[in-house]
Amino acid sequence: MIRLQNIYKSFKGIEVLEDISLDISTGECVVLSGVSGSGKSTLLSIIGSFMKPTSGDVSVNNTDILNLNDFRLSEFRKDILGFITQSFHLFETLNVRENILPALLLSQLSQEEIYSKISELTKLVDMEHKLDTQVALLSGGEKQRCIIARTLVNNPKIILCDEPTANLDKENTLVFIEIIHALKKQGKTIVIATHDPLIKELDFVDKIIYMKDGRIE
Amino acid sequence: MPSKEYMNFLSVLLWKYRAKHIWVIVISSLLIACISAFFFVTSSIKKDLFLTLDAQADFVVQKYRAGKVEEIPKEWISGFREIDGIEKVNPRIYGMHFYDPSETYFMIVGLDFSQKDVVKNFEQSFPNIKINEFLAKDNMIIGQGVKELFEYYQYKDYYIFRPPNKGKQKVYFHSELPSESQIYTNDMILMDSNLAKKILGIPKNHYTDIALEMKKGADAENVKISLILSHFDMRIISKEEIKKHYENLFNYKGGVFLALYIFTLMTFLLILYQRYSNIIHADVKEIAILRVLGWKISDVIYLKLAENFIVAIFSYLLGVIMAYMYVYTLDAPLLKEIFLGFKNLNNTSSFTPSIDISSLISIFFIFVVPFMLVIILPVWKISVREPVEVMR
Repeated sequence: MIRLQNIYKSFKGIEVLEDISLDISTGECVVLSGVSGSGKSTLLSIIGSFMKPTSGDVSVNNTDILNLNDFRLSEFRKDILGFITQSFHLFETLNVRENILPALLLSQLSQEEIYSKISELTKLVDMEHKLDTQVALLSGGEKQRCIIARTLVNNPKIILCDEPTANLDKENTLVFIEIIHALKKQGKTIVIATHDPLIKELDFVDKIIYMKDGRIE
Repeated sequence: MPSKEYMNFLSVLLWKYRAKHIWVIVISSLLIACISAFFFVTSSIKKDLFLTLDAQADFVVQKYRAGKVEEIPKEWISGFREIDGIEKVNPRIYGMHFYDPSETYFMIVGLDFSQKDVVKNFEQSFPNIKINEFLAKDNMIIGQGVKELFEYYQYKDYYIFRPPNKGKQKVYFHSELPSESQIYTNDMILMDSNLAKKILGIPKNHYTDIALEMKKGADAENVKISLILSHFDMRIISKEEIKKHYENLFNYKGGVFLALYIFTLMTFLLILYQRYSNIIHADVKEIAILRVLGWKISDVIYLKLAENFIVAIFSYLLGVIMAYMYVYTLDAPLLKEIFLGFKNLNNTSSFTPSIDISSLISIFFIFVVPFMLVIILPVWKISVREPVEVMR
């Protein structure tokens, strides 16, 4: 369970989040919606421990993630969390396999297990045939699927998606939705920050949180 | 111990981001090559020079009057032989001859064949030359540099010296000094001592200086005191003093070179630091992605340390190999002129390979430690920032 209490966040004196309190249950699919600058990505980053709030409390499965040291925080990001970012957060000069590899490098898995996991995940997102293709040569949709494979490779319990369909055409957006739906069925907790109306219409979304000027409407 | 996959990923990063590393490798290896070449040259010269010096006499004495060197009279020799601790007394004849056409000096060395030691040394050094034949007429043995110069000015068989008495002295070329010893014998001419005296204008029964060798186990300080007390118009030069003189000479030149190197290295490291401080977008993104994937700050720094350590090691080895080739294969053009510049004839001798391991280790630490620091510091600064802030 994810619990946020009285979250405030300001950048250079400008409040971007004001008094946000929120509970997300395990296995829920929640959409954070709002126009650009409404604070949804900032909120998502705070949930994912990638940014600290100016004040307030954040706990995940009863663990206060704001006071974890670097070792525990990194373990949390590696084992609990999956962050599906926008398609440009990849190593452009490396191929698909080499982009997924860093997510598994620090694990205790054997070489066979690592390559089997990479193969399994790329199969899931229909990218197995592109394993040796340089990321710079992939389309926007393929890059997004590469990020999804990298995110899921450690089997995270919580999946955060920041504008996942922003650079995708309709066909690739539908592929993404199918993947998210499958993950929801597996009992993963999913939080999606988006202004894509298609995502909000999905029947498997449990909760839509509308944000405006850093507040929940 | 990093896993095989970790090493594979590291090699992939190095290879695929090679463009980023190439300019660092090029400049670093050139800097390393410069300083290593300097150490190779000095090490080689010192080795050869000190080997030669070790074979030299323990003391050399010169007669002084009013601060100027004068010839030593023959009578001094017997006095030195009586000093306790002295084993051999070798009077020597030598002096500079100015060769006008090329405005260079030759070193004329006279050999006194009445001395048993001189004969013995000569026979050992030149087994193919018969002393009787050499002394049959006015002959000389010449160094490689002298030979080339005489050939250039069309002196095929002999050369006519002009002694101070305004006469002429024809001396024939008998043979040449071996090229292996060219570093010291390049401008040297060997001849009979009486002939040398005539050309240099040294009076009969006088010598330029006297070389003294001590008995084994004799106390150098006591011998020196006895020498000082024997004549007050005398200067005593010990082998150790000559060694120190040469060491100072090389240390002075080396110091200038080292200062220049450190200045250049600092400039390069400053540029490198500036570059990594304004770390390029790809590097920032790479660090942020790794942090999002659950890499600890120490994991990121370890990866970057490993990546750049390989770059540093590669640059270092490349630099040392380049320096070795430059000095021992190409014979150190330019640098040779700086270090052998005191020879007035062009020296074509080759450097004897000599590697001073302690100097190479020093270069390694002088280069690698600051190199790693200037790269790791900006990486650490990026790693401790919030990944999302960095990604944006």
